[in-house]
Amino acid sequence: MSETPLNLLKLNLDERVYVKLRGARSMAGTLQAFDSHCNIVLSDAVETRYELVDGELRSTERPSEMVFVRGDSVTLVTTPEDE
Amino acid sequence: MATVTDSADSVSSQFLGHIIGKPVHVKLHSGMLYSGTLESIDGFMNVALSSTTEHYENKENGLLHRYQSDVFLRGTQVLYISEV
Repeated sequence: MSETPLNLLKLNLDERVYVKLRGARSMAGTLQAFDSHCNIVLSDAVETRYELVDGELRSTERPSEMVFVRGDSVTLVTTPEDE
Repeated sequence: MATVTDSADSVSSQFLGHIIGKPVHVKLHSGMLYSGTLESIDGFMNVALSSTTEHYENKENGLLHRYQSDVFLRGTQVLYISEV
């Protein structure tokens, strides 16, 4: 099997990706690099943190020019649908 | 004579080979359930799904999201993969 899941991720290099992280966080950005641990480098990235405030879902965003995401917090990678 | 691990290896790899292209459920440690078509899987249990829907714990709890493109799930987060 040559088309492993990580091989399929290569198709997203230089494209916008949406990365779901542990702890109600996500990161969207341009995929610059990744490795087999799912360490991921994103440029023009936006981190989104979700929290419940008095039963109401609130999200806060934090942009950064370049970010290295450690693989162990990554749960899901796909392409964004609403940017 | 096949050892326990030998037979477990072959049965599990047979299963993983058999379910490629089939509709599957993938449950993560977080409790999120991903339902979609299994595009590929590797020895780390990294998974690529197409036509993916996202649910919490089970599909009866309602649809959280429908992904338009392929979804990559990281193997270390996977609790189980089951054929639908």
